[in-house]
Amino acid sequence: MEAAAISAHAHDDDDHGPPEANRSSRVEPQLLGMLLFIISEIMVFGAFFTAYFFIRVVNGDDWFPVGGHELPVYVAGVNTAILVSSSFTLHWAEACIKRDNHWGLKAGMLATFLLGCTFLFVQINEYVHIGFSPQDFAQGTIFYGLTGLHGAHVFIGLTLLAMVVVRSFRGHFSSTEHRGVEVPGIYWHFVDVMWIVVYFTVYIL
Amino acid sequence: MRQASLFRAMEFLAIGVGFSYGLSCLTRWAYHIHPVLDSAAAAPIIMLAAPLFFLVGLGAFDYWFYWASGKPSRPEDHSLHGAHSWKDYFRINTDHKVIGIQYTVHSFVFLFIGGLMAMLMRAELAAPGRQFIDANTFNGLFSVHASLLIFLFIIPVFAGLANFVIPLMIGAPDMAFPRLNALSFWLLPIAGIMMLASFFMPGGSFASGWTAYAPLSDSAPIGQDFFTIGVQFAGASSIATALNFLVTIITMRAPGMSFFRMPLLVWANFSTSLLVVIATPFIAASQFFVLLDRALGFNFFDPTQGGDVLMYQHVFWFYSHPAVYIMMLPGFGIISEVLAVKARKPIFGYRMMAFSLLAIVVLGFTVWAHHMFVSGMQSWIRIPMMVTTAIIAVPTGIKIFSWLATLWRGVIHLDTPMLFALGFLTMFTLGGISGVMLAMIPLDIHVSDTYFIVAHIHYVLFGGSLFTIFAGVYYWFPKMTGRMFDERLGRIHFWLTFIFFNLTFAPMHLIGVQGMPRRVADYSEQFAGWNLLISISSWILGLATLVFVYNVVASWRGGPRAGANPWRALTIEWQVSSPPPIFNFDEIPTVVGGPYEYGVPGAVHAVFKKPEAPVPAAATGGDH
Amino acid sequence: MRRGNFNRAEAVVVGVIASAVGIAAGLLIHWFPTAASTQAGPIDTLWDVLLVVSIPIFVIVACVVLFSVKWFRVQPGEENEDGPPIHGNTKLEVIWTAIPSALIASLVVYAYIVLVDIEKAPANPSQERHVRVTARQFAWSFEYDNPKAGGKPITSNFLYLPEDESVKFDIKALDVLHDFWVPAFRMKIDAVPGITTHYRVTPNRKGTYPVVCAELCGLGHAFMRSEAHVVSRADFDAWLAKLAAPPAPAGGGETAAVDAKKLFTDGNGTSIACGQCHTLADAGTSGQVGPVLDKVLADKDAAFIKESILNPSAEVAKGFQDGIMPKDYSKTLSPQELDALVNYLDKVTSK
Ligand code: HEA
Ligand code: HEA
Ligand code: HEC
Ligand code: CUA
Ligand SMILES: [Cu+2]
Repeated sequence: MEAAAISAHAHDDDDHGPPEANRSSRVEPQLLGMLLFIISEIMVFGAFFTAYFFIRVVNGDDWFPVGGHELPVYVAGVNTAILVSSSFTLHWAEACIKRDNHWGLKAGMLATFLLGCTFLFVQINEYVHIGFSPQDFAQGTIFYGLTGLHGAHVFIGLTLLAMVVVRSFRGHFSSTEHRGVEVPGIYWHFVDVMWIVVYFTVYIL
Repeated sequence: MRQASLFRAMEFLAIGVGFSYGLSCLTRWAYHIHPVLDSAAAAPIIMLAAPLFFLVGLGAFDYWFYWASGKPSRPEDHSLHGAHSWKDYFRINTDHKVIGIQYTVHSFVFLFIGGLMAMLMRAELAAPGRQFIDANTFNGLFSVHASLLIFLFIIPVFAGLANFVIPLMIGAPDMAFPRLNALSFWLLPIAGIMMLASFFMPGGSFASGWTAYAPLSDSAPIGQDFFTIGVQFAGASSIATALNFLVTIITMRAPGMSFFRMPLLVWANFSTSLLVVIATPFIAASQFFVLLDRALGFNFFDPTQGGDVLMYQHVFWFYSHPAVYIMMLPGFGIISEVLAVKARKPIFGYRMMAFSLLAIVVLGFTVWAHHMFVSGMQSWIRIPMMVTTAIIAVPTGIKIFSWLATLWRGVIHLDTPMLFALGFLTMFTLGGISGVMLAMIPLDIHVSDTYFIVAHIHYVLFGGSLFTIFAGVYYWFPKMTGRMFDERLGRIHFWLTFIFFNLTFAPMHLIGVQGMPRRVADYSEQFAGWNLLISISSWILGLATLVFVYNVVASWRGGPRAGANPWRALTIEWQVSSPPPIFNFDEIPTVVGGPYEYGVPGAVHAVFKKPEAPVPAAATGGDH
Repeated sequence: MRRGNFNRAEAVVVGVIASAVGIAAGLLIHWFPTAASTQAGPIDTLWDVLLVVSIPIFVIVACVVLFSVKWFRVQPGEENEDGPPIHGNTKLEVIWTAIPSALIASLVVYAYIVLVDIEKAPANPSQERHVRVTARQFAWSFEYDNPKAGGKPITSNFLYLPEDESVKFDIKALDVLHDFWVPAFRMKIDAVPGITTHYRVTPNRKGTYPVVCAELCGLGHAFMRSEAHVVSRADFDAWLAKLAAPPAPAGGGETAAVDAKKLFTDGNGTSIACGQCHTLADAGTSGQVGPVLDKVLADKDAAFIKESILNPSAEVAKGFQDGIMPKDYSKTLSPQELDALVNYLDKVTSK
């Protein structure tokens, strides 16, 4: 270690920064990073869906109603609509900032954020009233597992959105500099799409 | 507030423990769960939350907090970059070279700890009957041994070597996300210390093997949580690093470095990173299932409530089989570098070498249930899994034979890195062949869960991965430290390791087939002779490692200075000084040819625009 | 140039000899434990075939490495030379893709045939004897149909099988994963909580073989052993009949009515047999998991013995570990049985 330090010092090139890296791909690093991260996230959901698959398909246990407990398909359906609409408001916000429409960005981001919060609130409310717990039977475990995992992602998404909202109100974005909206935005779209899959497999099928 | 440092991190850690404990008590109080003060219930929360406090204290998130708070972005001042004294290795550092060394040294510490546990195990197993370790401790020892060596040694040490070398090799000034890189490293000590700490828990350390099969892990004492949660941190670290490698390799290659001009180490880490990004979430999830079952009474693995026990194994092995290639492919990369340079010949069949890596990645996802031939799963699944498993021998064989062809008619420099590379070629072939035998279901039915498996494990992980790691560490030692290692000690290390490795692990094949099960603290009289031989050899094998330690420490402190390019290699990392300058390059190099054009007159891999830069493949080791 | 001076024939000869020696050694080594089932034959042969295929592959790799080092090692004066710039050779690459592929394909087909062979059902599967194997921490029990129609199933902690008859095991686990393995039969499968797993063997050699738990199941995993006895059909029937016989007429609750020795060697159907873990000369058992009772009980009184059975953790024998001896004897043994057992042990161990 000593040696490393000494020779690095001998160069004495601390005064100048690193050379500009060559860009060997048209994809932006942040964008690519987020896409890869989403692949990982999809695999996390994949593992939970594997659990679902084993209980429901491999073991052939019946799915809801289980022990007289039904899933609130319609409430959850409305909730789905809420979450999906937040993707549209988000898209609108992004479209706005690309045209330097700051008001649109703020309104769009705020709406997205609030819709997301509503979704989470309805989801928690559903847990409170649903009448069974994850400890009761394996189907309950899977139900809470999948929706809970998704809820956790909504929470992460909302945290990111909150930052974007703050920064939009401070005017940090513009038509040339809006990566900070785009990258969390991709994540939020992913959370939405994932919900549609969860809703379809858990509530409808 | 104090400056971010290890001290502040410790303070934050204490705060985190208090906070999590308080949170747990508060929740229990609110829900009228008695007793309110329950350390066992608080433990998982502490283990999940307190490390995050530690990282905050260490300053891992400083920049992101700054960003999140909505302050305007500030220009990078590089204050976290580079090392000026040894203290700089104990803080958040964004220099990939510093991180690479942090990773490597840290991983070797865990090799020694894990290896020492193996020594204790071998002492207990030296004779039948109970020596000095009870069954529970023994089970704990091999569980922690394997977990440390897999999650805190093999996987991170490859990430560490690659961290150091890859940005240099592809002509990038650093990794794509330096702060994420620093965070990835600092997640590791958390995981490691957690796993070690489990020994101090009531009921002992986690003792259900590194595979932690449910439902045994569901009902195990609290030590199990340290595995379950420790793996989350190690896994998060791997995913973050892999993501970083992928983005770096895709977006930051030097001009002219097309994919097929990348050195094979870069290809290998590219493939490995794909595996990590796709597979690692599965082990995270499998351990979450266990955690939820344990802490909150979920029923993932409780058959009386409709849970499915075999599901654990499917999810676990869907990660852990790819994981064995995560533990091998970077080694393949190292061997390609070492062999080409030490045999002074281009890699034979470069393209096939790259494609076979990708083939292994793809096939690697289709074979997980070969670990479950006797698990009681649907019996038809065994057949396709046998076929895909056996097919992996083909791309792996392509690599082995191409390396052999690379050797043929070369000018072979038989020094320490090369010895380890050749040791790898032969020993890994043995391990791979025993793998193909295991793929044959009828044989696996007999030898599964015996010492035959233990032999396979060590032939591929020690004879395979660890030999490549030794080769790589010796090979890049001059680059990383600026010093030469002692060649004579290196050879002694190799020969001791090679001989006693075989004496330790080869007899395990025999006692396995003869019927000695694995994971036992005691065995019947008939295996006594072989086990004694194994134990004695294993201790000498362990002592051989001390030669390595001495060589590294002594050479790092006072070895002769190494030139920029002592091996006359073409790849870019050898075209800069040893150790490399703090920002790697004054000017990004331009790649003008393949990485392994040894023997091609006048061949050059990369050029620097600046005239004073060393001319590639020029006279040996021009000192600067 | 020196680099042309190598003699391929030498390498080939050495390789062939090494392969031959390797294969011969591989086939001579006594790899497997005694074979005691018809399943063992095909599996042992598969192993031999695998050895014959594998050893030459290893020898090729090792020979190329060794001869390369011998012939192409850098010579004085060559330190700065490079090898010939050979980048590849399509023909070679095709060969070393095709040959392993062919080998792999044949091995897989062969292994599949063996698999079908060792798992095939007997001609009259409905007549096949079923043995229900139950695994729990850390003991085995084996349940048989009562030879008398309508009789209660018969349970034993030791496995008895008639020679030359296919038997199917239905394997269950009560707590965690275990694995039912009789090395002499070569077959094993996990006992999985929640499902029943199966395999069948046809024992074909009389003798006593270890039954091994091969899946980590907790601290007693290393000690979860039993014995498999392969006996003639006549002996087997006699053994079954003995177990099926109702206990000696229960005359007025006398402790004498309980056969304590049988309790010790075979259990009562729900209790695990002591002899599985303990050596006791009088009962003829040789278990190695727990202390040898002849020795440790020589100077102990009945109260100690009773306490040790009901509450094994109360005093843990030196050199042994708590948590392995079942703690449920207060439930699985009736008070009479317990007293009988204690008296019996006290009697046969006191000198
Ligand atoms: C570095 C890690 C590593 C690597 C690379 C491998 C590689 C392989 N492994 Fe191994 N394996 C482990 C680590 C690894 N394994 C571990 C840790 C376990 C135990 C886990 C546990 O339970 O704790 C395990 C267990 C394991 C099992 C389960 C056994 C059981 O529990 O019952 C099986 C079964 O199929 C298997 C097969 C294989 C095969 C076919 C390969 C192949 O990839 C090998 C391919 C290579 C070659 C074949 C050699 C070179 C090729 C040639 C020279 C060409 C010609 C060859 C032929 C035609 C044969 N392995
Ligand atoms: C990279 C992976 C790796 C490495 C390097 C090793 C290295 C070693 N392993 Fe391990 N091992 C595994 C991975 C690894 N192992 C895995 C995955 C399992 C399966 C676990 C399970 O079943 O869950 C396993 C299981 C396993 C078992 C079977 C346990 C059982 O099933 O009951 C044994 C038994 O002998 C063993 C022995 C050894 C030995 C002697 C070494 C030696 O090579 C170690 C040598 C190194 C050192 C000793 C360290 C440095 C030396 C010093 C610090 C000097 C001090 C020396 C002395 C005092 C003598 N290992
Ligand atoms: C699964 C294994 C197992 C079974 C079955 C078993 N034991 Fe034990 N036994 C042990 C072990 C291990 C110990 C030592 C640890 C202890 O004292 O708890 C032990 C201890 C004892 C001791 C105390 C010895 C001493 O010196 O402290 C007695 C007495 C005893 N067993 C009797 C029995 C009897 C009677 C039965 C049957 C009814 C039985 N055991 C069944 C494993 C077993
Ligand atoms: Cu039962 Cu191991
Ligand atoms: Cu595998």
